Amino acid sequence: MNRRAWNMSFIKFRHFFIMYLQLAWRNIWRNPRRTAVILTAVIIGIWSMILLGSLMRGIAVGMIENGISTLTGHLQIHHKGYRNDPAIENSITDPVVVENALREVLPKGSSWTARVRVSAVASNARHYSGVTLVGIDPVAEAKVSFIGTAISQGRYLNPGDHNGIIVGEALLEKFDTKLGRKLVLMSQDTHRENASRAFRIIGTFRAEMEATEKQFVFVMRKASHKMLRLGDGISEISILLPGKPDNPEIYDRLMTALPSEQFEVNTWRELLPFQTAYLRILDGFMWIWYFVVFVAMGFGIVNTTLMAVFERMREFGLLKALGMKPWWILREVLTESFLLLVTGMIIGNILAFICIYALSGSGIDLSALAAGAEYAGMTRVIYPAVALKDIFVSNLVVLLLGILVSTYPAVKAARFTPVEALAHT
Amino acid sequence: MKIVECINVNKTYQQGQIKVHALRDISLVIEKGEFAAVAGPSGSGKTTLLNLVGGLDASDSGSIVVDGNAFDQMSQSQLANLRLHKIGFVFQAYNLIPVLSAAENVEFVMLLQGVTARERQQRAKAILDDVGLAGKYDRRPAELSGGQQQRVAVARAIVSSPSIVLADEPTANLDSKTGEGLLEMMQKMNEEKRVTFIFSTHDKMVMDYARRLIFLRDGRLVDDQVK
Amino acid sequence: MSVDVKMAWRNIWRNPRRTILTICAIAFASLLLVFMLSFQFGSYETMINTSVKIHTGHLQVQADEYQDKKSIRLVVPNPEKIANLLDKIPKVEAYTFRGQAFSLISSKERTYGAVVKGIDPEREATVSRLKALIRQGDFLSKDDTDQALVGKLLARNLRVNIGDELTVVGQGRDGSIAATVVKVKGIYSSGIDEFDRASIHIPLETFQEVYTMRGVVHEVVVIADSLGDIDTIKRTIKANLLSLNLKKALTVLDWNELMPGLRQSIEMDLVSGVIFYFLLVLVVAFSILNTFLMAIFERTREFGVLMAIGTTPGRLTKVLLIESMTMTLVGIVAGIVIGSLVTVYFQSHGIDISGASELLSQFGITGRMYPKLSLLSAVSGPLAVLIITFFAAIYPALKVRRMRPVEAMRAV
Repeated sequence: MNRRAWNMSFIKFRHFFIMYLQLAWRNIWRNPRRTAVILTAVIIGIWSMILLGSLMRGIAVGMIENGISTLTGHLQIHHKGYRNDPAIENSITDPVVVENALREVLPKGSSWTARVRVSAVASNARHYSGVTLVGIDPVAEAKVSFIGTAISQGRYLNPGDHNGIIVGEALLEKFDTKLGRKLVLMSQDTHRENASRAFRIIGTFRAEMEATEKQFVFVMRKASHKMLRLGDGISEISILLPGKPDNPEIYDRLMTALPSEQFEVNTWRELLPFQTAYLRILDGFMWIWYFVVFVAMGFGIVNTTLMAVFERMREFGLLKALGMKPWWILREVLTESFLLLVTGMIIGNILAFICIYALSGSGIDLSALAAGAEYAGMTRVIYPAVALKDIFVSNLVVLLLGILVSTYPAVKAARFTPVEALAHT
Repeated sequence: MKIVECINVNKTYQQGQIKVHALRDISLVIEKGEFAAVAGPSGSGKTTLLNLVGGLDASDSGSIVVDGNAFDQMSQSQLANLRLHKIGFVFQAYNLIPVLSAAENVEFVMLLQGVTARERQQRAKAILDDVGLAGKYDRRPAELSGGQQQRVAVARAIVSSPSIVLADEPTANLDSKTGEGLLEMMQKMNEEKRVTFIFSTHDKMVMDYARRLIFLRDGRLVDDQVK
Repeated sequence: MSVDVKMAWRNIWRNPRRTILTICAIAFASLLLVFMLSFQFGSYETMINTSVKIHTGHLQVQADEYQDKKSIRLVVPNPEKIANLLDKIPKVEAYTFRGQAFSLISSKERTYGAVVKGIDPEREATVSRLKALIRQGDFLSKDDTDQALVGKLLARNLRVNIGDELTVVGQGRDGSIAATVVKVKGIYSSGIDEFDRASIHIPLETFQEVYTMRGVVHEVVVIADSLGDIDTIKRTIKANLLSLNLKKALTVLDWNELMPGLRQSIEMDLVSGVIFYFLLVLVVAFSILNTFLMAIFERTREFGVLMAIGTTPGRLTKVLLIESMTMTLVGIVAGIVIGSLVTVYFQSHGIDISGASELLSQFGITGRMYPKLSLLSAVSGPLAVLIITFFAAIYPALKVRRMRPVEAMRAV
């Protein structure tokens, strides 16, 4: 076929197609009230699918972001065995090797920090509690974890703070103490002896979770080295990658750069099993939710289409009497359903995005239920999160299943015989 | 005795952009026991006239009095009550309630009037016998022929002895033989029970049955002859 | 049967296909609500019961402020007096005494901080699930001294096994150093990391000796016959505490106060559930509204005739409402029956949740989840459907009132 003929037939086809859509569109609005009502059902359906989906996704994103910023990072490097036995013996004694490898492998824009992290007992004159002692490099740490921006009273650590310590607000309260007071930390040093050292509280931090505030205390890495007789050793290196949190390529390169008999590299998915599990069942929940909303909507779609078809029985009979093929009628009915669904979807999507936009400013504040949120592993404020996948899937579910359930009335319409249709009053 | 009196009745409709003058200065008196036909081509205002006389619709000007009740002073619910007790209706088609049987359709009006169940049943059966439907009491409308359906409609219209029965082209959807049968039956009811009938038609055969012919054309009363 | 009901009933079956679809939509919504609510309630009960059976019991008698401060000095003196009191209260299923103190636990190689709990082995077994949670070794027996049960994660961190020795160092009630050596007799795993990582249990007598707590405890833990009895028991204990003439001020806390997070997270789940259900019912309502509305438009002509022969609009409204409410009721009853059957099936067989076990074990839910059918869960959802469909039906039924016979009859 030459180009000209091609064009002609394309134009013909386009004209036919537009006329065809126009016809279906007008048919939909022959009964505006019915269309409006069923459109509302589709709109509410798709709106709720997307909005609630984005909130559930938002809960997951909040949990994961919080998990990553609470001393996890996207990737972590430990001495082999540390994850199973997080004791001081399993420290990385020669961090320089790792740091060199990191400089080589990590893409531009990555940040990383090395920490000492051991379990310890904090005490003052009246109270005892188990805590995690974290020895940090304040400058590098601030780029990787939440602590750099979480100071609520006093100040953050400075390189000169040999015995300064930062504790959580909740711990401060639990210990009946305040800034400037002493706090004694006890732990086991590299010689398996009890090491203890007094620190002065120079700052406090606030975290999403009260448990975080009670668990972590921060000191200078140097100070922890001295206390634990650790030399230059560190417990872990936490890495934040630029862009997406998952980067298998970097992970693989780190694995090859660092000998596996000496080091272990873990992704945040391995380090945050609770959040990963939530993420996994979230998809299942979404599917159930989509399905349930759809079935509720589906009854309406079938019923309406069925009624529309029966109302137009005479018309279809006439068309058939004029020689129209059944499949044309089938296609006509399906096209009308398609247009109805698409219209509902467009409005529903727009509404959902307006709501998401409105919520994205301040989020949904659960502070009143903070203990409950924490119990469920959620952050205090939920921000809706839009995942393209969720939007795509929910729209696709509505469209495909919507067309599918419309085939029943459409087939019915295609089967009307001219005689019975014309006899129908 | 005057049953219906219309004086200078006017009625206009808005149909899309166009104003339709359906009735112009109609004045008319109908006496008790008449068997009158309102005749004229379609669009001449027959149905409008019957609707106004039946209190289904309000006139723009002029007065209508049925059995001593002046419509222009009555509320909707008073009109509904008047229709219930004084006026019977037979329409062209779709007259019956499809979910009720023949006897139940007839009983329905009496039920609204508060007649006891027993009397209702007796009277419904008696009147169905009179219109020639003995033994078909329990048939649903869909199980009856068009002529039979109209007979049920007539039975329903006359069962509670209204002052007047208004029938809007009752035979329009029937073949001529069935139509004739229906008219004979109506005539019989008129003679035996002294029921006043006004029906509209454009059918020559139907006009032959009427004892009075009222001709409408373009909303005007052009001829009124008593045979 | 009145003619209104008769007409309504026959009208319903004029278009059986549409009626069945509408009833199905209503039944589907009701069924789903019955099942989901039962599922939620069931999981709450599991969460409450497991948490209660692992940590807190239904009620605890403690010294004032102990709950917040956990200070070893805040003790319950004369626990036997409380015991006498509890023995007299009906519906108290069991009770036990515990002491607890934060201490350093050291094995040969490792030292960790953990809460040392002193328990009465015999009584503890009636109150908590600790005995059932033992994965290795054995539960404490009556005459054990210097033996300990260790959480699985703590045992791993300490690198100890059954029979290994642990050194416990802490602070006694009088401020002296409390130290002892205990042998690991059993290792337990609850699935709740916090519990498995940071606690060991030793016999109460050993505990009292080591921490200079002779004759006193920190918690009296009470289990009631059922969740519903807790309030009564709490009130009874409260009323009688004063008459016991104890030197220290004591307080009674129920599981809500002992675990505020649990209660709030249940509330949160319930609220989000209600939002879900509301949207679901709304979508169904629009589907139904459509059907009702159409059923009326279709019959406009018929209404015209009915009005022409003198039927009042009120009567038409009534017939229409009987129609829609009959459909709704049939749907709802079907939904309740099927929903209840489905729920009862899963109530006895359980729902496999192994895919989410990592997540849910943190809330004490392991293995299978069991929905729990109750009057509330079976009725409240369908009731919401009834109310909202009633409103969906009202609009079209009232629309009839504005019809005029002439126009109605002209409609096709």
